[in-house]
Amino acid sequence: MSMLIEQDSEVALLHRGTRRFLLTGLLVTLLIIAAIFVRQGLLRQTAVLTFVTESAQDINKGQAVKIAGFKVGAVDTVTLRPDGQVEVELEIDADSMRFVTRDAVIELRKEGLVGSAVLEIMPGADRTRLAANGAKLAFTRADGLTAMANSLRDKILPILGDIKVITGTLADSRQGLPATLGQVREATASLNTLLKTGNQQLGDVGQAATRAVVKAEAGLVQLDKTLSTVNNRLPGLLDKAQGIVEHIEKITAEAESTVPPLLQDGRAVAGDVREILTGAKTAWPIKNLVDPPASSSLKADSDPRAEGSRAPR
Amino acid sequence: MRRAEPWRYAVLLAVAMLAACGASPKPPPEPRLRVQAQELESNGARRYAQGDYSAAARHFAEAARLRSSFDDAAAASRNRLQQAQAELALGQTQQALEHASQVTEAPLQVQALLLQVQAQLALGRADAAQGPLTRLISLCESRCAERGRVQLLRARTAWAQGQAAQAATQAEAALPLLREQSEEREVANAWRLLAAARLAQGDTSQALKAALAALDLDRQLAVPEKIARDWLLIGDIQRRVASSEARMAYQRALAVAQAAGLKDLVQLADQSIKETSR
Repeated sequence: MSMLIEQDSEVALLHRGTRRFLLTGLLVTLLIIAAIFVRQGLLRQTAVLTFVTESAQDINKGQAVKIAGFKVGAVDTVTLRPDGQVEVELEIDADSMRFVTRDAVIELRKEGLVGSAVLEIMPGADRTRLAANGAKLAFTRADGLTAMANSLRDKILPILGDIKVITGTLADSRQGLPATLGQVREATASLNTLLKTGNQQLGDVGQAATRAVVKAEAGLVQLDKTLSTVNNRLPGLLDKAQGIVEHIEKITAEAESTVPPLLQDGRAVAGDVREILTGAKTAWPIKNLVDPPASSSLKADSDPRAEGSRAPR
Repeated sequence: MRRAEPWRYAVLLAVAMLAACGASPKPPPEPRLRVQAQELESNGARRYAQGDYSAAARHFAEAARLRSSFDDAAAASRNRLQQAQAELALGQTQQALEHASQVTEAPLQVQALLLQVQAQLALGRADAAQGPLTRLISLCESRCAERGRVQLLRARTAWAQGQAAQAATQAEAALPLLREQSEEREVANAWRLLAAARLAQGDTSQALKAALAALDLDRQLAVPEKIARDWLLIGDIQRRVASSEARMAYQRALAVAQAAGLKDLVQLADQSIKETSR
C-alpha cells in the first residue's frame, strides 16, 4: 500500500513539471509572434499619403520613403488610372506626419549618383499647416544622369563651335595667320628698304656737307692768310664766297629732290603697319577679345513647323 | 662764318619724317548708321540660330528700315528676306509672303521665290505655289546652289496637290542633293515627306524606314516639334499595319509635345491615342 502511494506522488510531480514546460513554451511562442508583429509594423499606427504622376518609371511597390534621410515608410500601391495617370499611395509612420506639411513635395531622387531611387518628402515653408491622413501631395523628379549629361552637352557644344570657328579663321588664307605673317613679311621688307634708302641719303648729305665744309675751311684759311691784303683782294674773295654759297644752294636743291621720296616711303610703311594691325584684329588671340560678327546667312529650313509632310487624315 | 654741324642735318631729317608720318591721312570712319545696321543683322542671325525667331524678325525688320534710310537697297532686300524667313518659322505666313514678294533684286530672286513657295504651301495654297515654283525651276536649272531645296519644294507641292507617287519620286531625288549641301534639317524634311508619301501609297515598310531616318536626324538637331511629328507619323504607319506599337508611338509623341508645351500636337496625339483605344 505504501508503495502505491509513493508511485502516485511521483506521477503527480511529473505532470506538474510537464505542465510548467508546456506553459513556458506557449509563453515563449506568444512572445515571438508579438515580436514579429512589432517588427513587421503590424501593430504600429500608419498614415497614407498619395500623389499622381505621368509615369511610374523608377517607382516600385515597397520602395523606401524618407524624410531628411530617415526611412519613415514605403510605397504601398502603384496604380494606373483610367485617364492614363499613375496614382501612388505611400504608407508612412503616423508619428512622422508631424513633419509633413500641406505644401510638402515628394521628390523621386537617386541615392548618390547611381544609387537606388527613393522618395523623399520635402516639407514646405508653412510648418503650421500639417497634412492630414490621406492627403494628396505634389510630386517631382530630381534631375538624373541623363539630364546632367544633356546639360553638359548643351554647354560644351557652343565651346566646340567656337574652337572650330577660331581654327577655321586661323587657317583662313585670306584673314588668318598665314595672311598676317605675309603682311608682316611685306612690312619688314618695306622697312628694310626704307632704312637702306635713309642710310644712303644720309651718307650723300653728309658727304656733300663735308665737301662744303672743306671748301669753307679752305676759304677761311685763304681769308686768314690774305687778311692783311684783304682790301686789295676783296673782290676776288667775295667771288669765291659767292661760289661757296652757290654750292650750298646746290646741296639744298639736291636734298629737296631726295627727301620727298623718303617721306613717301615712310607713309607706305605707316600704311603697312595699319594693315598689320587690321590683320591682327581678325587673328587669334586678339580676335577672342572682340565678339565675332555673326554670319548673316540663315540656316535653311523649308518646313520649320514640320507641317508640310502631315499625312492626310 | 659759323660751321654747320652734320648731326643737325640728321635731326632735321628725323623731324621731317615724324611730321610726315603724323600727317598721313586717316581712313574715314564707318558711318554710324551702317555700323548699326550691320550689328542689327548680326544680332538677328544670332537670334535665329538660337531659335528666338520673334526677336530675329524684329532685328531684321529694323536693319531693313535703317538700310532703306541710307538707300542701300540691296542690303535692305536681303534683310527683308531674312525677316520673311524668321516670320515663316514663327508661323506668320501671310506677313512672310508679303515681305518675300517685295524683293525684286535679281541676285536675291531665287531666295525670294523659295520663301514665296514655302509660304504658299504653308497657307495651303498648292495651286498658288505652282507659279513661283515654275519660275524657280527655270531660274535654278543645272548649276544652282539651291537645287536640293527646289527639288524638295517640288515634292512638297506635288504632295499638297495629292500626287503621292510624284511626291515620293521628287523627295527621293532631293535627298542626295541636300546631303551634298549638308542641309540636315532639309534632309530630315525630305525623309519625313517621303515617309508620308510612301504611307499614302501603302508601302508601310519603306514609310517606316523613312520616318525613322527623319526621327534620327531630328533628334540630333533637337527640334521637339519635328520629333513629335515624326512619332505621330510612325504611329500612323504602325496603325496601318495593325501593330500594337502604334499606341506607344503616339504616347511618345504626346510626351514630347507635352514637354515642349506644343498644345496643338498634344491634342493631336491625345486624339490619336483615343482612336487606337477603340
